Amino acid sequence: MSNTIRYISQDHLITRQNRAEQEFLAAFAAEKPTLAAPKVVVNPYLINPLCALVMFTTPDAVAPTLTVHGKRYERENITHTFKPATEHVLPVLGLYEDFANQVTVSLPDGSSTTLTIVTGKLPEDVCRCLNVQASLDYLGDNIMFLSPAGKNLPVAYDYKGDIRWMLTENTMFDIKRMKNGNIVTGSSRFCHMPYNCTGLVEINLLGKIYKEYRMPGNYHHDHFEMEDGNLLALTQDFSRDTVEDMCVLLDRNTGYILKTWDYRRVLPMSVGGSGSQDAHDWFHNNAVWYDKRTHSLTFSGRHQDAVINLDYETGDLKWIIGDPEGWPQEMVDKYFFKPVGDLTRFDWQYEQHACVVCPDGDVMCFDNGQYRAKVKEKYIENRNNFSRGVRYRINTDKMEIEQVWQYGKERGQEFFSPYICNVEYYGEGHYMIHSGGIGREGGYAAKALGPFLDAQSPNVELRSITVEEKDGVVLYQLETEGNFYRAEKLPLYHDGDNLVLGDGQLIGSLEVTEEFDTVPETEEVFALPPSFHNLLIEEDEDRFVFHGRFEKGTLAMLCLEKEGESHNYFLNTSATWHLAMCSGAFLEKDERDIKIHISKLGLHGVFKIKLIVNDRKFQTGVSICCP
Amino acid sequence: MITEITEKEYGALNQSEPKLIEFYSKTCGPCKMLSFVLKDISKQKPEFPIYIIDFDENRELKERLGVKGFPTMLFFKEGLEVSRLEGLKQKPAIISAIDALA
Repeated sequence: MSNTIRYISQDHLITRQNRAEQEFLAAFAAEKPTLAAPKVVVNPYLINPLCALVMFTTPDAVAPTLTVHGKRYERENITHTFKPATEHVLPVLGLYEDFANQVTVSLPDGSSTTLTIVTGKLPEDVCRCLNVQASLDYLGDNIMFLSPAGKNLPVAYDYKGDIRWMLTENTMFDIKRMKNGNIVTGSSRFCHMPYNCTGLVEINLLGKIYKEYRMPGNYHHDHFEMEDGNLLALTQDFSRDTVEDMCVLLDRNTGYILKTWDYRRVLPMSVGGSGSQDAHDWFHNNAVWYDKRTHSLTFSGRHQDAVINLDYETGDLKWIIGDPEGWPQEMVDKYFFKPVGDLTRFDWQYEQHACVVCPDGDVMCFDNGQYRAKVKEKYIENRNNFSRGVRYRINTDKMEIEQVWQYGKERGQEFFSPYICNVEYYGEGHYMIHSGGIGREGGYAAKALGPFLDAQSPNVELRSITVEEKDGVVLYQLETEGNFYRAEKLPLYHDGDNLVLGDGQLIGSLEVTEEFDTVPETEEVFALPPSFHNLLIEEDEDRFVFHGRFEKGTLAMLCLEKEGESHNYFLNTSATWHLAMCSGAFLEKDERDIKIHISKLGLHGVFKIKLIVNDRKFQTGVSICCP
Repeated sequence: MITEITEKEYGALNQSEPKLIEFYSKTCGPCKMLSFVLKDISKQKPEFPIYIIDFDENRELKERLGVKGFPTMLFFKEGLEVSRLEGLKQKPAIISAIDALA
């Protein structure tokens, strides 16, 4: 086999979407379609096959109403009325897959047009609903959005379990609706293993990216919109030896970092470790919540079995919810709570996710419960364990804690998720409990996390179960294939602008990728590396990603060279075992496959890419252009 | 100066001298890279003794010193471990640990 290297150069998705929008708007302007024969563009922003745009003009400004007809009954129709205009560019959301969808646009004068919009089949590996118990009375206009925890895609299911929304980009972590109606979620662009992406994307439900907020420490797990619109986002400083232990406040307009909270400043790293803790990922921050009432931040740290609260202004530690075993006594005395009330029902949370502060100050979370103890001798096997949503009432004067609600313990291992998941507070007694990380092997809760299980094995089941309970009664349950990081119940349309035209923006900044200051002595050869290495270089506007296959223990380095200048990046070919894998989106099946992201920030000019493999430096024939 | 030693030879080292002991494995890419880093450091500090020990072939010693993985660098002064660095590090971090022995 001849040696080859694959090289892909692709504009950022924002650039491609900008181009697509300019093209259909130019066609719209040229054609000036009327309501009788409107212009229809299916999947206008390239990443949502279950949406379309309907475009037409009217002589006078009128407010059109759009109806996506239900498959079965009129009652299933999704209807939205848009603001008055003469040029109408109407988002059509919630189309059924592989179906001739009926869509009606009507005007206040009674005129209307009904269109047929045909959609194709969704990708074969999209996760399907297996079981749903829901009613239109309960769900209303809402559908359930699930964000992926692996290579599956973000999807949303209606009350019948039909998929009504999806993205063909593997956006990551939580899907949250902002006050302006847009969605903010993690970008799909890989940066660092195991699951760090370039930053956050603000999108609408057509899939149009308004902004990508790039972050030098990347984004992982969670974000939160502040009252002024700025965004809290979880991150880290890759120049340190530890990860997932920082939060930043991002300026919503510029993407710049306005403020940073560093948990290393207030917590010891070597105490209170959960069963999954290691020195590198000592805290594993998987959730952030801002509470206006106390002007404080609450963070969930899976690897210390701890939900912590920091003063917003000073970053000082105020309290810790968690089993105090193993923590220094002076910290236990100062920061931990003493359980009160019915202690026969009380359980601490372990390896929890998704902390929520209720309006009255109660604290909820998804208690995954993995290990359910602080010391190895007491660890509980997954098959004997349980996961649950839990609500604690805390008294910060008396430092007392009472468990006031839980759902899930009674379901045992069937509802057990050792990772990911969330809870939502809708109102008193009304909650969502999303157990999205269920993995079963031979019918029992598996020992390994979902991304490490062989989903193709007939012995293995990956499942996601989302429950909603009101006043102790389960009113909704959705069970799907696959694992899903979080669930969010949202209507497709909102009262704000469901589509704002104009170019999307790439803001904020990536890091300057750390170089290696020592270069091995090698012989330069004027040949491509052996085909075994299966090299792929993906160039984007602001970075490139190098993929290669290397036997464990290979000495490998990527070199960027131009006359008088070189930049060298060490490639770690050691097999790495991750104790946490909240999204397996970037995980490779073959552990010899590695990838490295290199930001173009700080690089200027055209560089030849060369590859050192043991004692030889190979050519790749690929040059990277850095502005 | 870089010298490869075994656990038997380790016992014969001058305990009072400041030194760096690195545990490596032949099957480890970062260890191979670190060997070049240490070579560079040795050029800068030719008098400073650096000893390298094969992790896989000197198990008794690595257990006695509490070395869990490779590469691991132990910095000794007057027979006592002053600091350790685990994993591949760049020159400034290693030089800083060496300088702290002075």
